[in-house]
Amino acid sequence: MANIRNNKPSISGAVKNVQKAFQTKTGFVAITVRAWKRSSRFKIGFVISSLIIMVGVLAPLLAPYPRDGLGYVPEDALQKIRLSPSRDHIFGTDTRGRDIFSRVVFGVRSALIQIFLVVSSSLLIGLFMGVIAAYYKGFIETLINYLIELFMSIPAIVIALALRLILGSGLLTVVLALIITWWSWYGRVTYIYSRSIVEMDYVLLAKLSGVSGLKIIYRHVIRNASPPVLVQAVTDLGSVLLEASAINFLGLGLPPDSPEWGVIMQEGIQYLSISPWISVFPGIFILVTALGFSLIGDSLREEVDPKLRRRWRLWF
Amino acid sequence: MPVSLNYIVKRLFWSILVLVGVIIFSYLVIILSPGDPAVKWAGNPRGVNATFAIEAARRELGLDKPLYMQVFDFVAKVLTGDLGISIAYKQPVFTILYSNLAATLELLLCSYIIVLPIGIVLGVYSALHRDELIDDVLQSFGTIMANTPAFWLAAIVFLLLVSAGSPVYGRIDTRLALETGFQSITGFYLLDSILQGNIVIFIDVLVKLIPPALIIGVYPLGLSIRLSRTLMAESLTEDFVRAAVAWGVKRGRIIWKYAFRASIPPLVQVFGLAFAYSLIDAMVVEYAVFGREGLGRLLVDALNYSDFKLAIGLLIVVTAFYLVINTVADVIQALIDPRVRL
Repeated sequence: MANIRNNKPSISGAVKNVQKAFQTKTGFVAITVRAWKRSSRFKIGFVISSLIIMVGVLAPLLAPYPRDGLGYVPEDALQKIRLSPSRDHIFGTDTRGRDIFSRVVFGVRSALIQIFLVVSSSLLIGLFMGVIAAYYKGFIETLINYLIELFMSIPAIVIALALRLILGSGLLTVVLALIITWWSWYGRVTYIYSRSIVEMDYVLLAKLSGVSGLKIIYRHVIRNASPPVLVQAVTDLGSVLLEASAINFLGLGLPPDSPEWGVIMQEGIQYLSISPWISVFPGIFILVTALGFSLIGDSLREEVDPKLRRRWRLWF
Repeated sequence: MPVSLNYIVKRLFWSILVLVGVIIFSYLVIILSPGDPAVKWAGNPRGVNATFAIEAARRELGLDKPLYMQVFDFVAKVLTGDLGISIAYKQPVFTILYSNLAATLELLLCSYIIVLPIGIVLGVYSALHRDELIDDVLQSFGTIMANTPAFWLAAIVFLLLVSAGSPVYGRIDTRLALETGFQSITGFYLLDSILQGNIVIFIDVLVKLIPPALIIGVYPLGLSIRLSRTLMAESLTEDFVRAAVAWGVKRGRIIWKYAFRASIPPLVQVFGLAFAYSLIDAMVVEYAVFGREGLGRLLVDALNYSDFKLAIGLLIVVTAFYLVINTVADVIQALIDPRVRL
């Protein structure tokens, strides 16, 4: 009896469905929770990334030779030059007798710092510029879109080269070069989402009731536009790492002897045929870290864009 | 074809405007960054001729004029292809850039011609076998490929090839080129050797070209496997596919002529972006690992000689390349997808 009644289309049922649809939260946290429940790829990515972050935090404890990890040359360096992987040095030693494993473990830290600095700063700039462009239309909109297009079209690596010649090597060079180009992508995404939000009736209503522009931007536009942009940012974490390590690999960023994967690989590349382990192990870490972040990002994107999640069947 | 000329002209004008913006930006980088611009422009000269070189650079940049005149002069200079003499090569900057662009472009084109069809076919195959093991395998493969650092893979492949005794270092065997009287005309060695009917050189160039081309192709391969699956998943569920099935159209025709056709425009756009992105991969890999000439060598030399002119020249040329590729991609997209033409 109950079954039959439930199957009947009833007004209260429709109302419930509508309510349910509205209750589907679209905040970033809610999206993350749903991705966790739904996707095993998210879990794998989450586990990988947490492991990497833990390695970064616990680097001084995990590294058997913490001083090597920081770039100091050990005293008995001459006896330890380019040892192949063994029990004492699981990843072998480099050209100056340092333990590669320690350096790679400390490299997690520089990787995370670079990623965090680049993504968070670009995110802030991009969100700001995108929202301003969408809200204050007219000349500002054209100008900001022009700037976005401009910085989108300059690859980070050539800016890094110019900055390297001006500022010398260092963290600032890599991070600045990446931020200069990277914010434009978030600017673009924010702009696209905010423009449709600005056209919504509730924004008009808020304007009519005399709410100030900044308040509307904060309360209505940014809050609604930020989840997809944040998802984009998570997807990008891996690509930032890939590009940063490429810049460092070419010697355009961090100075030699830094515990950074690209730098370590560069130091090993001349000795590739004699001692391949110097260059091979940091690369594996880059790959695994980028993969972890990208798995998380992909499943989050599926949550934001339901089209990607849709199951379908072929008609033939 | 009734393509609105208006759209194309607008797109071109916008791209040129962006290019001018990039040139202005690079000039501001020279002027506003810490340190004397003339010293930077002269490449931090030392020794007897230092003051002379700095004075020359000061005149070249026109630093005694008002700022807007400096910027205007600089833009005019760059657009007419005059960026002074490179410090590292003692030749005009743009001459070096153009002669090296061909090498990188050859690598890049070769890479995409090999990789894209493979990636697209795999992606479509994956979409047709959704929810099967092969789909998961292909998609995971694509994700891993898209996240592999190209220079790391290049190092490993190079190591393997060298230990197998394969001659992969450099772009061409110079001695062989001299013996067979090979001359470069276009800068694209593959094309040149075919034009001259020089089979020995053709094989040599191809053998040296394929490994780096495949490595640069790893990113577009992963991207195309994943993207073409997503796009096919969308278009295969459309009503026109259902209608085609009802009409009794053959399966292969439905897939390639109907469903795939609908996903070409987004593919073109994404690959336009990816192609420009791969230029960076090519620059990283070609010289640092494979010792080929090309833009990557210029990058390293500009750093080693602190050749600021070359660095700025690279910035402008690489950006112009990006703009050209994306404009072309947009125009192609407008040609095949009427919705874009606004």
